[in-house]
Amino acid sequence: MKDNQQKDQTWIGLKDISKDPEYIAEVHSEFRDVPISKLLVGHQNESLTTSRRDFLKILGFSVTAASIAACDAPVRRAIPYVHRPEEIVPGVPTYYASTYVDGGDYCSILVKTREGRPIKIEGNSMSPITGQGTSARAQAHVLSLYDLSRFRQPLIDGAKSSWQEVDQLIVSKLNSGSKIGIISRTILSPTFKKILAEFKTKYPNTQIAMYDPFSAAAQLAANEKSYGIRAIPNYHFDQAEVIVSFNADFLGTWISPVEYSADYIKNRKVDPKNPKMSWHVQIENNMSLTGSNADNRILVKPSEQDAAIAYLCNALGGTPLGSTSVNPEAAKALDRVATKLKAAGSKSLIVSASNNMAAQLMVNQMNDILGNLGTTLDMNTPSYQKQGDERSLKKLISDMEAGSMDAVFVLDGNPAFDNPWAGAFKTAAEKVGLMVSLATASDETAELSQVVAPKHHLLESWGDAEPKKGFLSLIQPTISPLFDTRQAETSLLKWSGAAPEIFEDDQPYYNYLKQNWLQAGLDWDTSVHDGIAQGSIPSAEVFSTKALPDLSTQSSTPLNADLELQFYESINIGSGQHANNPWLQEMPDPVMRTVWGNYLSVPVTWSGGMDYDSFNDLKDGDFAELTLGENNKTVTVMNQFGQMPGTVGIALGYGRRSVGAAGINIGTNLYDMMTEGQDGLFQYFVADVKLSGKVGKEKDIPAVQYHHSMGVTDIDPKTGKKVNVDEITAPSIKKGYQGSLVDRSIIRRANLEDVETFIEELHEERAKFEKLNSKTLYPYEEYKENYYEQGHHWGLAIDLNACIGCGACTVSCMAENNVPVVGKREVERHHEMAWLRIDRYFYGDVNNPNTVYQPLMCQHCDNAPCENVCPVAATNHSSEGLNQMTYNRCIGTRYCANNCPYKVRRFNWLDYTTADLFPINQPKLNGEIFGNDDLTRMVLNPDVTVRSRGVIEKCSFCVQRIQDGKLTAKKEGRALKDGEIKSACQTACPTGAIVFGDFNNEESELVKNIHNGLTYQVLEEINVRPSVNYSAKIINRDHKLDA
Amino acid sequence: MSSIVSPIRRPLIEGNKTYHDITEDICAPTERAPSLAWIIAFILAVTFLAIYLVCLVITVWGGIGTWDLNRTIGWGWDITNFVWWVGIGHAGTLISAILLLFRQKWRTGVNRAAEAMTIFAVICAGQFPLIHMGRQWMGFFIFPYPNSRGPLWVNFNSPLLWDVFAISTYFTVSLLFWYTGLVPDLATVRDRAKGIRKKFYEVASFGWTGKAKHWQRWESLSLILAGLATPLVLSVHTIVSFDFATSVIPGWHTTIFPPYFVAGAIFSGFAMVQSLMVIARKVFDLQEYITLEHIESMNKVILLTGMLVGTAYLTELFIAWYSGYIYEQYAFFNRVFGPYWWSYVGMMSCNVLAPLIFWSKKARRSIFITFFMSIFINIGMWFERFVIIATTLARDYLPSSWSYYSPTWVEIGLFLGSLGLFFTCFLIFARVAPVIAIAEVKHILKSSGDQYIDKNSKHYVEVVEKELA
Repeated sequence: MKDNQQKDQTWIGLKDISKDPEYIAEVHSEFRDVPISKLLVGHQNESLTTSRRDFLKILGFSVTAASIAACDAPVRRAIPYVHRPEEIVPGVPTYYASTYVDGGDYCSILVKTREGRPIKIEGNSMSPITGQGTSARAQAHVLSLYDLSRFRQPLIDGAKSSWQEVDQLIVSKLNSGSKIGIISRTILSPTFKKILAEFKTKYPNTQIAMYDPFSAAAQLAANEKSYGIRAIPNYHFDQAEVIVSFNADFLGTWISPVEYSADYIKNRKVDPKNPKMSWHVQIENNMSLTGSNADNRILVKPSEQDAAIAYLCNALGGTPLGSTSVNPEAAKALDRVATKLKAAGSKSLIVSASNNMAAQLMVNQMNDILGNLGTTLDMNTPSYQKQGDERSLKKLISDMEAGSMDAVFVLDGNPAFDNPWAGAFKTAAEKVGLMVSLATASDETAELSQVVAPKHHLLESWGDAEPKKGFLSLIQPTISPLFDTRQAETSLLKWSGAAPEIFEDDQPYYNYLKQNWLQAGLDWDTSVHDGIAQGSIPSAEVFSTKALPDLSTQSSTPLNADLELQFYESINIGSGQHANNPWLQEMPDPVMRTVWGNYLSVPVTWSGGMDYDSFNDLKDGDFAELTLGENNKTVTVMNQFGQMPGTVGIALGYGRRSVGAAGINIGTNLYDMMTEGQDGLFQYFVADVKLSGKVGKEKDIPAVQYHHSMGVTDIDPKTGKKVNVDEITAPSIKKGYQGSLVDRSIIRRANLEDVETFIEELHEERAKFEKLNSKTLYPYEEYKENYYEQGHHWGLAIDLNACIGCGACTVSCMAENNVPVVGKREVERHHEMAWLRIDRYFYGDVNNPNTVYQPLMCQHCDNAPCENVCPVAATNHSSEGLNQMTYNRCIGTRYCANNCPYKVRRFNWLDYTTADLFPINQPKLNGEIFGNDDLTRMVLNPDVTVRSRGVIEKCSFCVQRIQDGKLTAKKEGRALKDGEIKSACQTACPTGAIVFGDFNNEESELVKNIHNGLTYQVLEEINVRPSVNYSAKIINRDHKLDA
Repeated sequence: MSSIVSPIRRPLIEGNKTYHDITEDICAPTERAPSLAWIIAFILAVTFLAIYLVCLVITVWGGIGTWDLNRTIGWGWDITNFVWWVGIGHAGTLISAILLLFRQKWRTGVNRAAEAMTIFAVICAGQFPLIHMGRQWMGFFIFPYPNSRGPLWVNFNSPLLWDVFAISTYFTVSLLFWYTGLVPDLATVRDRAKGIRKKFYEVASFGWTGKAKHWQRWESLSLILAGLATPLVLSVHTIVSFDFATSVIPGWHTTIFPPYFVAGAIFSGFAMVQSLMVIARKVFDLQEYITLEHIESMNKVILLTGMLVGTAYLTELFIAWYSGYIYEQYAFFNRVFGPYWWSYVGMMSCNVLAPLIFWSKKARRSIFITFFMSIFINIGMWFERFVIIATTLARDYLPSSWSYYSPTWVEIGLFLGSLGLFFTCFLIFARVAPVIAIAEVKHILKSSGDQYIDKNSKHYVEVVEKELA
C-alpha cells in the first residue's frame, strides 16, 4: 500500500493518481481491526448492524417462519408425458361416442376424457332414441370404472391367477358333450349373440338362460301371441293425448325411461297461448316417479291390477280375461278413463307393467280397439330392451340342482342375489362342476364361483347394441384396461376354440366386431365416430322360450288381504347392480327423498288432528318388523303421501352382502320375499304381509327433505271445510294457520283449465313485487347498466312442467363439479354436498296428491345476500352476473349459508376430499371413505378445484364450461353462439327442462323461455334478483275422476 | 362524588368502618392462604377449562363436522354462546361508565368485580367467532392489513367484520378502564406486601405513590374513559345485533334488534354480576361492602331491563302479525309453536315472567331469591339467543330445507368449557387483586357509611360534638 506512488503501479481511478490525502487515508484504513459494525455506526445504514440480540431475534423468526412454511397442504406429484400420445392435448378434453348398456338399459352417450381418463358422460344428441338425454345411472357409470371392488385379475378358487391358467382350466373341463349353462340378463349386442351362437355350435348341449330381474316376460309372450313378434312395442308417448299406465314406471325405470321421458314431455310443455297437454293417469298403489308426474292417480291394490285392466278392457268393449272386481272408487274412475280413452281414440296409449300374460293380452286388446297400433305404438321397429324369461333361469337352476350341469357361466347379472330363487341358486351352484363368473366387480355370484374371469368395464370395451330393430349403437373403449381383465366376448371366443391366430392381435374382439359390421355393409369409421348407425346386423337367435310351457290366458283375481306389499325398482340402484356406486347411493330417491338404503313406504292419512295418522303409528325412521309367513325382516319406515291405504311399498336391489365397501349392508334385501305367479313368472307384490308397530328407531333419517308438502288439502271433519293439512300439522304444539305454506312464492301451479286466470294473477303479483323491489338502497339499476347489460349476463330457465324429477342432473352435477360423496351418516346429519337438488312437494288431495319437482341450485342473485355478509369477500359478483366463490379466501364462517334464502350453499364440514391441511384425519370419516382413493380420484374433473375442509361451496353455473366456451369463441374470432355453453345439468336432462343462456342475447332460447308468460322467480319479493327463472307447473287433473 | 346524600338513602357501607378497616377487609383475600371453598372452586374451574381445550382441539383437528350443525342451520351453540357472553360483558361497562356519569354511589361496591367479569366474558365471547370458523388457522384474514394476498382487503359491508371492530374496541377500552381503576388499589396492596409479592405489585401499580397529581390525573382519565365507554355500551350489542338484523332471513331481519339486544345484554350482565357477587361477598366475607342495598339496586335494574326485553318479545310478535308478511308471520309462529317451542317457553318464563317477582321489595332483598333469579335469567338469556339463531334458521323460506339441530357433546363441552375459562380467570383475579375498589369505597365512606347516615349518624354527631367541645 505504501508503494502506491510507484510508476508501474496500477490505478483504478483518478483519485489514485491525484493522491488525494483524504482518499489515501480512506484506503489505508480499509483493513482495520475494528468490527465493521462500529466502523459504520453513525454514517451508514443502521440496519446493517447486527447485535447478539438481533441475531437471536432473526434466528427465532426464521425457525418459526420455516416451521410455519412446513405446514402446507400435501403435495401430490404428477408426471408429465415424455411422448405426447396421439389425440391428447393436455387440458383439452376429447369426446368419444359410445353406448351405455346395462342389461336392457340403454343410452347413447359421449364420454369426455381428459389426459386419457374418462371423467364425464354426456348424452349423444345424434341418437334418435335417447337423444341428448341421459339417466342418473348412465351419468354415474363413469365412477364404476374406478370402482375399488373391481376384480384386478382372474381368480381361481379365490386366488390370484392368470388368463392362461383360467383358459386352460376351462377348456380342459369342457368337451363337446358337456352340459353347459349360460346365464345372462338381456343381451342387446348382435355380435355378442353371434359369438354365443358359435359357442353353442361348439358345445351343442348349451342351455342359455336369459332373465331380467325386472321382467317383461309376460309382455313379450303376449306380444308374440298378439303380434307375432316377441319384443316390446315401439311406444310413441309424444303422439298420445291420453296415457293410461297400469303401474308402469315408464319415466323412471320401465324399459326405456330416457327415451319415454323425452317423448312424454313433448306433449306436456304448455304454450300459454294455446294451452294444451296430454292427460296421464297412473293406476298404482305405490307412489312411483311416473305416478308422481301423472295428472290423476287411481289407487288399486297390487293384486287388483289385473282386475283393473280387465275392468277397463270390459268398459272399452273388449273381452276381459278374468275377474273385473275392483274397489268401487277405482271402478268409478276407470269408467271415466274409458270415456276419455274412447274420445281420444287412436291418440291414446295404454301400458302395463303386469307380469301376467293375460293382463298384457288385454292391454294389447285395448290398444287395438282404440286403434293405437301404428299411431302411439308400433311393432315395425320393436324394442329389444327386455328379452329375458325368468322361467329359463328356473329351469337351469333345477338342472343344476339335479347335478346334471358340467359348467355354468354367468355372463351378466347376479343370479345369487337379484331374484327370488337366489337361495336355491346358491345351493344348486355347489353341485355344478364348474362355476364361472364374468363379473367386473365382486358380487354374490362371483363369490361362489370357482373361476372369476372378469370382463372389462363398459368404458374399456368394444361392443355394439341394437336396442330397437334397425337402430344400432356402438361401444368403444375410452381408456386402456385398468386391470388384467378381458372382454367377455374374447373369453367366449377363446373357450369356444376360435382360431388361435385371431388372439395374436391386441384386441381380438375389436377385429371380430369390425368384421361383423363391415360384412353388414355399415360404414365402420363413421359409425364409431357417431356412436350410432342405422341398419341391421344379423344376430343369431340364441335364446328361445319355445321349450317353456305356455302361459295362462286367465288373469288373476284380487286377493282380500289386509296388507299388500309392492316391490319396485329404484331409480338409482336398479336390481342391485349399482349398489357399489356412491354417486347413485347418495342420489336421493326422487319420490321419497331418502338416500343410502331402501325404506318401506307406509301410507299416511289425516283425521283432523295435529299430526298425520300413519299405518300402525309408524313415523319416519322407525324400525318395523315385516313378516311374510316365516320370513321376518326389520325395515326402516318412511311415511309416503300417495301410498294407497292397505298397501306398503319397498325397493328391491338393496341389502347386498358381497359387494364393494359402498354398497355392503345398505338397506334390506327383499328378493327372498318375492313370489312367483301361477306360471312361474316373477310377481312384484305379495299379499298378506304383516307389519308390526314401532320396534326401534334410526338415530336420524337419511332423508334430505323433512317437510314434504306444500298445500295438501282435505276436508276438516269438524268444520266440513277444505283445509290445507300440512299447514295445520307443520308446527309442534299448536295447529298451524292456513296459508302459511301455500302462500309462499316458491311453487306456482295451476290446472290446465285455469291457465289464463293464473297467468293474469301471476303477472299482477309480479308487478306488485317489482314495485316493492324498486324501493331499495341497492344500486341495482346502476349495476345493470354498467355491468350486466354490457357483456354476458348468465341465467337459467327451468320448466317445472318438463322436470320429471329423475335426478340425472344431480348426478351429472356431482361428476362435473367434483362434488364429494359424504355417506349415509353425514346425510342423516344434513351434511349432503349436492350443489343441485330437486325439491319435491306434494299438493292437492292429501290422499291422492299431485307432485311438483323443483330443481334448486345457486340462484346467482344479482343482489346476492350471501355476498355482502362475507367478512373476507370470499364470495362476490362477476360482471357477467355470476355469484362466484373463492375457496382460497373462505374462512368458513357460514354466514353466507345462513343468509341464503334458498339454502343452496354447502359447507365442507369434514375432510370429505382429502384436500385437507392435516392428512392425519383422512382415513376415518365415520369409517366411510368414498372418492378418497387414488383410483377413485381419477374421475375428478381437473377443471374444477377440489374443495378442502372448512370452506363453503355451491353451484357455479359450471363456470369452467362458460370459460371454455368463451375461449373457444375468442380463439375463433367470433361471437359466442346461443346454446354453445351448456351447464352439466342441462346436458344431462332427458326432457330439456333446464336451459342455460345469456339474458343479453335476445335471440337465445333462455330469453324466449322466460317470456312465455308462466315464468316466475322463487322468492321474488325479497329483491335478491335471482338469475334462475322457473316456469310454473301446470297439470291437467281431471276433477271428475276424484268425485 | 357528591357529598350530599338524601337522608332516605340506606347506608352502602355497614359495620362502622374506618378507612383502615376498609383496607384490611378488602385486601385480606389477596393476602391470606386460599380458603377451601376457593380451592375446590378453582379445581372445578380448571377441570372445565381442560374440557374446553380438549373440545377445542377436537374441533380444530376434525373440523366443524364434529358439531351437529347442518346445511340449513349454520350457526347453533357457537354463536349463541358468543352473543350470550358478549351480553354478559355489558354490565361491567354499564356500571363503571354510565353509573359513574350518573353519580350512582352504589356502583363502587360492585364495579371492580363487574368490570373484571366484563373482561373475562368478552374473552370468552371472543373465542367463539374464532372457533366457529371452518378454517380457524386462516382467521387472520378478517383483519384489514396490507397483505400479500392480492392485497385482499376485507369486506366492509359485512356485519361480521363490524363485530371484529366492535368487540376489539370494547375489549380494549374495558381493559384500560378496569386496569386504571386497579392501579391505586394495587399500590395499596403493594404497600402492605413483602418479598416477591411486593415486587409483583410494584410493577403492577406503575409506581403509584398517591400524590395529589396522581389522583387528579387518575380522576380525569377515569372520566375520559367513562365517556368513551358509554357509547360502547350501546354500540357493541347493537353491532352484534346487526349480524342478524341486516340479513334477509325472516326472524332476523328486524329493526327492533339493536335496542332489544342492548336491553337484553344489560339484563343478562346484571344477572351474572348478581350470581358472582352473592357468592363472593359470602366467600370473601365482604357483606358489609356489598350490602343488601347494592343487591336491591341491581335487582331494580334487572326488573327494568327484564320488562324491556319482555316488551321487545311482545312487540316482535305483534309486528310479525301486523306485517301481513307470510314468512315473518310463520317465523314467529314457528318460534312459539314449532319444534323448538320449549326454548321459547324457557326464554319467556326465565326472562319475562320470573323477574316480575322483583316487584316485591322482600324478593329484591332476599339473597336466596336473587341468586336463583340470576341463574334463571342467565339460562333464559341463553335460550333467547338460541331461539333467535337456531330456531329461525331451522325453518326459513323453503320448507324443503327445513331441519332440526341438537348439539354434539363437543359443542356442549365448548360451552361448559368456556364457563371454566371464565371462572378460572375470575378466581385468579379474586386472589390477586382487590375485588372491591378500595379507593372508591373510601371515597363514599363519609357519605354512605352507616355510622354517618341513618340512625347511626346521631351517635356520630354526638361524638363529634363532644370532641369539638
